[in-house]
Amino acid sequence: MTRPFTHLHVASAFSLRYGTAFPAALVRRAAEHGMDTLALTDRDGLYGAIKHVIACHEQGIRPVVGVDLALDKGSSTPDDLFGDGLPSGRRAAPRHHTGHGTGHRTGHGRGTAAEPARVVVLARSHGWAALCRLVTAAHHAGERGEPRVTPGMVAEHATGPDGEPLLTVLLGPRSGFGRAAAERRDDQARALLAAWRAVVPDLVVEVCDLYGYRDANTAARMIGLAESMGVPVVPTNAVRYLDAADHQVGNVLDAARKLVPLDGRHLDDATAHAYLKDGAEMARVAARICGGDLDRAGRLLAETRRVADQCALDPVEIVPLLEPEHPRLHLPEAGEDPVPLLRRRCEEGLARRGLERSAEARDRLAAELGVIEKKRLSGYFTSVAGITDMIRAMGVRCAIRGSGAGSLVNYLIGIGEVNPLEHGLLMERFLSEGRKGLPDIDVDVESARRLDCYRAILDRFGEDRVACVSMMETYRARSAIRDVGAAMGLPPHEIDVIAKAFPQVRARQIRAALSDLPELRDSGLNDRSLQTVFRLAERLDGLPRHIALHPCGVLIGNSTLRDRTPVERSLLEFPMSQFDKDDVEEAGLLKLDVLGVRMQSALAYALQEIERVENRKIDLDAVPRDDRETYDMIRLSRTIGCFQIESPGQRELVAKLEPRTMHDLIVDISLFRPGPVNSDMVTPYLETRHGFREPRYPHESLRDALRETNGVVVFHEQVMKVIDIMTGSGLSEADRARRALGTPEGRAAVRAWFVPLATENGYAPDVVERAWKVLDAFGGFGFCKAHAAAFALPTYQSAWLKRHHTAAFLAGVLTHDPGMYPSRVILDEARRCGVGVLPLDVNRSGKTWLVERTGPAGDGLGGYGLRVPLSAVRGVSEAEVDRMVAGRPYTSLADFWERARPSRPVAERIVEVGGLDALHGLRPGEPRWRPGRLTRRDLIAQVGALDRGSPAGAAGQLPMAFTERVTPGELPEMSEAEAVEAELEILGMDVSRHVMDFYQDLLDALGVTRARDLLGQRNGAEILVAGVKVATQTPAVRSGQRVIFTTLDDSTGPIDLTFFESVQAHTAATVFGSWLLAARGVVRRTGGRAVSLRAVHCWNLADLDRVWRAEGLDAVRAVIVETPAPGAGVGGRPIEYGNGFRVSPYSDNGAPPAARGERLPGLSGEPQRRLWHASSGSSGPSPDR
Amino acid sequence: MSRLYGDPIEVWVRDGHPAQFVWRDRLYTVREIQDHWVVAREWWKTSDADPGERRFWRVGAAAGKEVGTYELRFDTASGGWLLLRAWD
Repeated sequence: MTRPFTHLHVASAFSLRYGTAFPAALVRRAAEHGMDTLALTDRDGLYGAIKHVIACHEQGIRPVVGVDLALDKGSSTPDDLFGDGLPSGRRAAPRHHTGHGTGHRTGHGRGTAAEPARVVVLARSHGWAALCRLVTAAHHAGERGEPRVTPGMVAEHATGPDGEPLLTVLLGPRSGFGRAAAERRDDQARALLAAWRAVVPDLVVEVCDLYGYRDANTAARMIGLAESMGVPVVPTNAVRYLDAADHQVGNVLDAARKLVPLDGRHLDDATAHAYLKDGAEMARVAARICGGDLDRAGRLLAETRRVADQCALDPVEIVPLLEPEHPRLHLPEAGEDPVPLLRRRCEEGLARRGLERSAEARDRLAAELGVIEKKRLSGYFTSVAGITDMIRAMGVRCAIRGSGAGSLVNYLIGIGEVNPLEHGLLMERFLSEGRKGLPDIDVDVESARRLDCYRAILDRFGEDRVACVSMMETYRARSAIRDVGAAMGLPPHEIDVIAKAFPQVRARQIRAALSDLPELRDSGLNDRSLQTVFRLAERLDGLPRHIALHPCGVLIGNSTLRDRTPVERSLLEFPMSQFDKDDVEEAGLLKLDVLGVRMQSALAYALQEIERVENRKIDLDAVPRDDRETYDMIRLSRTIGCFQIESPGQRELVAKLEPRTMHDLIVDISLFRPGPVNSDMVTPYLETRHGFREPRYPHESLRDALRETNGVVVFHEQVMKVIDIMTGSGLSEADRARRALGTPEGRAAVRAWFVPLATENGYAPDVVERAWKVLDAFGGFGFCKAHAAAFALPTYQSAWLKRHHTAAFLAGVLTHDPGMYPSRVILDEARRCGVGVLPLDVNRSGKTWLVERTGPAGDGLGGYGLRVPLSAVRGVSEAEVDRMVAGRPYTSLADFWERARPSRPVAERIVEVGGLDALHGLRPGEPRWRPGRLTRRDLIAQVGALDRGSPAGAAGQLPMAFTERVTPGELPEMSEAEAVEAELEILGMDVSRHVMDFYQDLLDALGVTRARDLLGQRNGAEILVAGVKVATQTPAVRSGQRVIFTTLDDSTGPIDLTFFESVQAHTAATVFGSWLLAARGVVRRTGGRAVSLRAVHCWNLADLDRVWRAEGLDAVRAVIVETPAPGAGVGGRPIEYGNGFRVSPYSDNGAPPAARGERLPGLSGEPQRRLWHASSGSSGPSPDR
Repeated sequence: MSRLYGDPIEVWVRDGHPAQFVWRDRLYTVREIQDHWVVAREWWKTSDADPGERRFWRVGAAAGKEVGTYELRFDTASGGWLLLRAWD
């Protein structure tokens, strides 16, 4: 029995826009073929290497890892031997005899001059570090995203210090040698082979026959040349598909990668044969290559075995966590022994936090240190503490998040500000003896300073020891449609319309979405001509397309980090590991998550504004956390702008829950999650909280653990405590059980373990059953209390600032945009809070939103205004803003033009929205403009004159007097509506008046109910409402429906509307497609001060307005009493979780889509900016189609 | 010199390769397979989900004594054979 064949050249999906199969699938197939070794040689990087090694380990296959690298064209050799270096004219003509049919296609990629020559470099058994370093060097040498090597670079890494070979180089059909052989330039081919052999000791020629025209011929020539020079030869299949059927996807990827339409000329493979063939097929290929000479074919296959044996890697060496007992971690070096260092710092922390005398704290500390030292993680904690100290010393706000808040050590050494003892947080949720893997400390910093923090960390540890973590962006519906559409040659604008019509769903849901969603069903996209596009787009689902910096992960390693992971440069020039966050952990590398949080920036900005305007310094972390006025504001759900509690759903929940303490906020944040909502924790919790029902406990012994939430299980920590109390197994084991609750199999296993243990401990069967029901319903959901406690702090702090320093807080929110609402909603909120909105003014506006005092000094509430910043003007550059701010004050438009040097369109836009009104005493809209008075339009005309008067580059060529001369009143002033229209268009918000002001007459005529009057409506009443759309969301809800939640703003307050699936057939397109909405709904009282509407029907308010103007009120009435035609609702099978939780496949996921605005009455043009929040699960088709 | 034909022909296949074919009423026996390659169809130009591939053979074949070189094509979608070309 001969030993099985080994594929030595295999590209997975991690060869971006080239490969089509994931490593695990390839490995599984190899195992099915009875293979015992498999290589992964992705293009340009080791992105899939860890996943490959893990998959191989699971299947009992030996992993080989390599990389497929492009050669630098201007390679160091003077005669250009190595690069593709072929005189291009020699290739075209002689290769095909005639142009007949599609039979003889030229250069299907392997020979085209446009593509660089490539070689495959395999790590030999001890060559992993050399391979990592070679890949890093290749990325360093090439352009970003286009790594290049020279033979010199490969040679440098190919041998160890004693000359032992570490890398094996394969020269295949795409190498310079292979191309020369194919072109019958034998002398050049021999010279290339000799040159490589001179620098690389372990050199192998790779031949390949994909049944393409002349493939076998070329392979035979390569074998002849190699044998004549004594270089070993191996056959490969240059695999890029799992099955032959993936060929079409490969074609699309080739076109997408090269940015060309599909055409035979651009494809890398003319045949569908580059799939993972089994041993028998490969034996046939080998025989074919050898012209039927079976001895020779046998020699080739034996050679393949030899290379495979030499290159087989030890999985555990590369992925230490495959050995969970004693993984070899790669910890940062500390200057001194980290164990006593950490102990000393904790001791100091006890004193600083006033916990020296607390026995509880000492016991807890001893237990935590025991685990940390046993896992040899002391150095990690001291390193992280060093980093957070450094970040705070830079003046950057920094807060701990996640389970790390449960560790007392983190509190004592100043990584976090949450005392775990105060909130009953558990260390075991974060780090425990039994837990596989590494602890993950997450810190939040100001988003605007995140990269500064990264730079500081790099400087401190040195580039060799630190790298950012990367992540793969994958194809989703929109990106897949864009790439397939382009490959198929659809016009770009058409592709854009089609792609934007889709919500942010997975690519494989495309055709399902077309038939399920009412707003797509009638869109005309179901056209047969688009079927191929959609079919292929679905096939791209989930394939990696782009590598990007992970939003927070930073690897902290030691001087061997570059031996463990290849590193490339991110877009912003940060060193970035090619491994994602899972790979990094498996590889035994420690990471710290430094997440940029906009709210932290907003808070920092607010504090800075308070200091600037009031001359008062506030220590936000020292503010008492029991301020009554702050909680009163939260309970009235006046929380727009506040961290975590501003969404419509949260505003409803806080109104019902009425938080009075930090603990209440922690519960509130934990309850507002899909898990608690689905396992119905909210209602029982609220009932017992308000005393409608007695708290119930499955057993007296659980009272302590569950008291804080009145017997309802809300937190992960409580599940752990319940399991620990009833089984006596310890919290560490309990956490392991809790994790297993996430899957049905896990739940069955936990039950089989839990029930007998609890019974043994003397619990009655019915008690055990009751307790198990609670755990079972909890499933893998619920929330980590440590995480909620860490979140609750900025939530409270933001609410406190909003209550006591409203103007400064909202200035921070407007400047850093931390929340879900667009600026115009925040401005409305400011007006409702009594804070003025001050128009753009070149002499007063700054780079960011500034607080101005508009009245006598007060207690921080009255007498303040927010000044629209210059950066809000559409299209303005940062340099322009800097010049404008630096040049203040200005004496006239001409002066402004001269010194601030804005571009003409920017200057015009500034005039249009009134940036020079104050300077020139203009008052559009106020007492009507009279002839002879200067107008904004006059000034715009003057901008034109100034522009013509100043040829680019020259300064001051025309006398001021000339351009200064404006004939006042030559052009009419803008109307109020035009002014607001311009504001929406240019600033993205209505500053001078509320948009709805223009519809008040129509609303009055129709008898529309205003937001401020909603509380007076009786439950069940059917009323009309109208307003500007502020937000649409399609969150996961218990019923498994896709429910659309929409918030309207009619200038008197928010109106929350719910569209259930039963009405979406006739409303979805309008809800997603319009900006101004009128709706009919049924009043639903949800709490003392909470009202929402169940929508029955809705219309585009702008359309109604047009009808009203053209045909009168009766015509409008006729439209709104019309009974909608019955239609189907939303289709699609809900995604069902193990514990019975059902979610619509179209509920929220991913980033917000682009949205379209509406027009003001009687005006053309439309606002282009983001005017409302739209969650990504929804979007709707563009009305254009 | 080769000539183009593109005539439909009937072919007998043995071990996956053409063994005999009838062209213009004469029976040819394949003596030698000189080359064999495959080309995937340009699926994006058709409306079929999978238009299949075309398989080409260049063979030495004879109807009598004289051996000539012929190029045959098999279309997997239609199942039909063509004689594309012949060298005198």
